[in-house]
Amino acid sequence: MDQEQATTEQGGRKVLIIEDEYFISELYVRALKRAGYQVDLTIDGAIGLQKAQTDDYDIILLDIMVPTITGTEILEKLRDKAEEPIRAKIIVTTNLEQSEENKAAIERQADAYIIKAEITPKQLVEFLNSVG
Amino acid sequence: MDHSKRLRAQVYTYIASALILVSVFSIIVWYVLFEFIGVDSFLAIIVSFVGLIGFSLILSELVLKAVLEPLNALVRAIMHVAPGHENSSSSPPNLENVHTGKELINNMALQVYQLASYGSSQSTNDSSHRKELIQAINIVNHLPLPMLVLNNERIITNASESAITYLAAETSKLFGQTLEDAVRLTFPSDHTLSRWMEECQKNKVTTTGFWERVRVTLPDQTEKQCDLSAHYNRDNPSGADFIITMFDRTEHYQHDDDSLNFVAMAVHELRTPVTMLRGYIEVFEDELGDTLSEELQDFMHKMEVAAGQLTIFVNNILNVARIEQNQLMMQLQEADWGKALNSMLDDMQIRTNINDIVLERHIDENIPTVGIDRVSIYEVIANLIDNAIKYRGKSKKIIVTSKVGGNGLVHTTVQDFGVGMPSSVTTNLFEKFYRNHRTRNKVSGTGLGLYLTKAIISAHGGQVWVNSKEGEGSTFGFSVVPYAQLDKELRESGDKEIIRQSHGWVKNHSMYRR
Repeated sequence: MDQEQATTEQGGRKVLIIEDEYFISELYVRALKRAGYQVDLTIDGAIGLQKAQTDDYDIILLDIMVPTITGTEILEKLRDKAEEPIRAKIIVTTNLEQSEENKAAIERQADAYIIKAEITPKQLVEFLNSVG
Repeated sequence: MDHSKRLRAQVYTYIASALILVSVFSIIVWYVLFEFIGVDSFLAIIVSFVGLIGFSLILSELVLKAVLEPLNALVRAIMHVAPGHENSSSSPPNLENVHTGKELINNMALQVYQLASYGSSQSTNDSSHRKELIQAINIVNHLPLPMLVLNNERIITNASESAITYLAAETSKLFGQTLEDAVRLTFPSDHTLSRWMEECQKNKVTTTGFWERVRVTLPDQTEKQCDLSAHYNRDNPSGADFIITMFDRTEHYQHDDDSLNFVAMAVHELRTPVTMLRGYIEVFEDELGDTLSEELQDFMHKMEVAAGQLTIFVNNILNVARIEQNQLMMQLQEADWGKALNSMLDDMQIRTNINDIVLERHIDENIPTVGIDRVSIYEVIANLIDNAIKYRGKSKKIIVTSKVGGNGLVHTTVQDFGVGMPSSVTTNLFEKFYRNHRTRNKVSGTGLGLYLTKAIISAHGGQVWVNSKEGEGSTFGFSVVPYAQLDKELRESGDKEIIRQSHGWVKNHSMYRR
């Protein structure tokens, strides 16, 4: 019952997942699709950035450790040094402890931060539902 | 051990050199008897031989007595004043027992200070007596153990030289200060030195206290870890009401910490695979749940429970490591306690179900909203329910009760009807790595769950307790603070976020924010 409600409520919000860990992305994509989100996935940082800049998404799940461009750079290009601001909420995902410098940068620019190792797909869905 | 070996070697050297002297002497005697007096040579040998043995025996006895006498006197003196050891004064104390050894050192210091005070009040004219006392105090001051003396206002009146060096403090910042102002001590539990001192002054005449793993923060911010031993003697004429001795154990404890850090590092790597496992199980359950046979559904639940237990285990170890590194912090948010508790218990229900246990809930309806860090409180509930399952014995029931207690806090208890434990066990239950020796071999565990529970709850401003009877079961309880009360405290203290620190630690979970 709850799940059906969530599905209709989400009304096809679009999520971009920039994530190179296969297991994680597979789980996230599946769980989010099931909860009624439209999901787009890329494992490459540069492509992810391009896609994000189209401003076609409601939520961006951004892994800090992705190939070609790091998550911190992407974050910077989308926020602090953005040519045109995007409306998407940016949620940074990571497993590693961040340096103080990174932490401050993430806290300033991202809308939320999750530790992948501590959140199951179901919890992720609940979390995204609560992100306005 | 070293000392006694050295002592023995010394005595042997004395005796050996004495024997050589005596042999030379007896050869001379034999020569004189034989050559000048003309006694039969055989008789002369026997006389000198007997003389030799007798002489050496007397000599060694004298030497041993002379060497050991000061030691015996010391033991007698210490035993004389050591409280609680009066009855055993005929046998020397077992110095292998670390606590006794540390207590005895404290007692010795106390004895010396007491003597000093009698000296100053009674026999000021006796100059040799004064001199001895000054010497005695000097000895105490030069012991390689930092020692602090406090008067009945709990102000530092004296400190051994090693205390001044150890604490790297200027004397002006030590003398005349309260202990709290002079040294930053962080205790592993609520049983702090300050609290003990208050307690002493209210209820005790003379007593001793002992603490392990106390963190000492020096002025340059380096940290040491000490054991503390303290002695209280009400209205001591010398003004030395409290004598506190510090035993630096930094290296020893550092070793423990390093091992824990290593484990934490290894366990850190377990988080991702475990979470993925749980993720895939969730997918199975969501998409296949209804189509599976009953047996397969049961297997899936069991998989879920096992993965959940692994998660608790991993989180326990990581959180303990965070506490140790002063990195665990709570972010307290307003929550409907009845709802929160029920949803957590729903999660626990899978575990009780597969163990055929009935999880009864008695949750009052009019509980006010509380301030909690949900992730941490979930761990508390999971640990308590897990324990209740582990120690259930043959019983089939666990009761969770929640209501507003007499002190206005929200009380929640988890009651099992299992093996229970005697009161001697319950006092240490919330300590790190503590495991009941009776069940240690029968029930698995790390000895971290209750330690964490206590740390998390006290960070919430609440308390933990336990009632247990052997063979009848145990009731574990904890309290959390209503949000209104927290909010009020908050406005008074002027903080923007509700962050409560306990044992001086700071956070990690706050990154999990909205």
